[in-house]
Amino acid sequence: MSKKLLKSIKLFSIFFFIGLFTIGGGYAMIPLMREHIVKREKYLSEEEFLDVFAISQITPGPIAINMATYIGFKQAGIMGSSSATLGVVLPSFLVILLISFFFVNLTKISFVQKLFIGILTGVVGQIAYLTFDLFKKQKYTILFWTILIISLIGIFVLKISPVYVILIGGIMGIILAKDNNNANAS
Amino acid sequence: MLMLLRIFAEFFKIGIVTFGGGQAMISILQHELVYAYKWIPVDRFLYFVSVSEVTPGPVALNMATFIGYELKGIIGSVFATLGVVAPSFIVILLIARASEKFKENKVYKRFMAGVRPAIIVLLINAIYLIALRGFKGYIPYMMAVSVFLVFPFWKKNPALLLLITGIIGILILR
Repeated sequence: MSKKLLKSIKLFSIFFFIGLFTIGGGYAMIPLMREHIVKREKYLSEEEFLDVFAISQITPGPIAINMATYIGFKQAGIMGSSSATLGVVLPSFLVILLISFFFVNLTKISFVQKLFIGILTGVVGQIAYLTFDLFKKQKYTILFWTILIISLIGIFVLKISPVYVILIGGIMGIILAKDNNNANAS
Repeated sequence: MLMLLRIFAEFFKIGIVTFGGGQAMISILQHELVYAYKWIPVDRFLYFVSVSEVTPGPVALNMATFIGYELKGIIGSVFATLGVVAPSFIVILLIARASEKFKENKVYKRFMAGVRPAIIVLLINAIYLIALRGFKGYIPYMMAVSVFLVFPFWKKNPALLLLITGIIGILILR
């Protein structure tokens, strides 16, 4: 029980930190999340992390909440998922409350705007590297290229929701993937 | 109390329809809260949206805190936030519990193998959407490219790199 409590406190602080630095939507937290969840704490393998990311896309709710709940549960059951979720929610909750109290319009302050865009350039660079890294690690089968091209057309030409892109890829995988093609998680 | 429950229910609904990035969520919120229920005026709503995008945390959560506070103070924002969080919390708990069983399942593995290329495309789309929203002129793009080149050798916390680009942004962006 106390071990679970300790883990839960740790989860809370990790996700509080992640929540604090997620500016510009849920995807912005992916690089930071990978650093802490996969590289430092080794809560999930690279493969599992991508699986949870995919699951987050086809289930309700912001990615941040989904990730926190899933990883928290794996580490320390319901207590873990509650504290991780609370951790990721709290920074934005407190910041918004403060803004509401003092009624400051952040968007009108020039240096806040510049800070925000500056952080977003960092976010874009980091996500770009992760995408490149993920691309490098794939096996370039015909199925891989087919799903990649279909997804590109779906997102950028037909503008369908990410939910369907994930589902189409997954269903094509079920029908066409060879079982030895999968990189092994473990 | 009735109002608190209505706030909770409204944001519970928003929590259900927020998939992934959650762009659809804002128009649904606007339609219901501004036009159907007339809880808040439209200019106030748009102000909330713009601030939610430049503060930490998912936009859906920020909107919940803002609107809950506007309607019923701190307790209102607590109910709204709980409402947004509840659907994903419940669904993911169920999936996390079951996942040990289907992790070795062939169909699950094939599904996830097929999902990989789709994830790559979604990440490219995330880059595109962020750049589209805030990058003006060539300087932000050059900063992003620099981070792309530096990041593989970066041994410290990625958040520190974000802080640095933020400060550089204050100094050199116009």
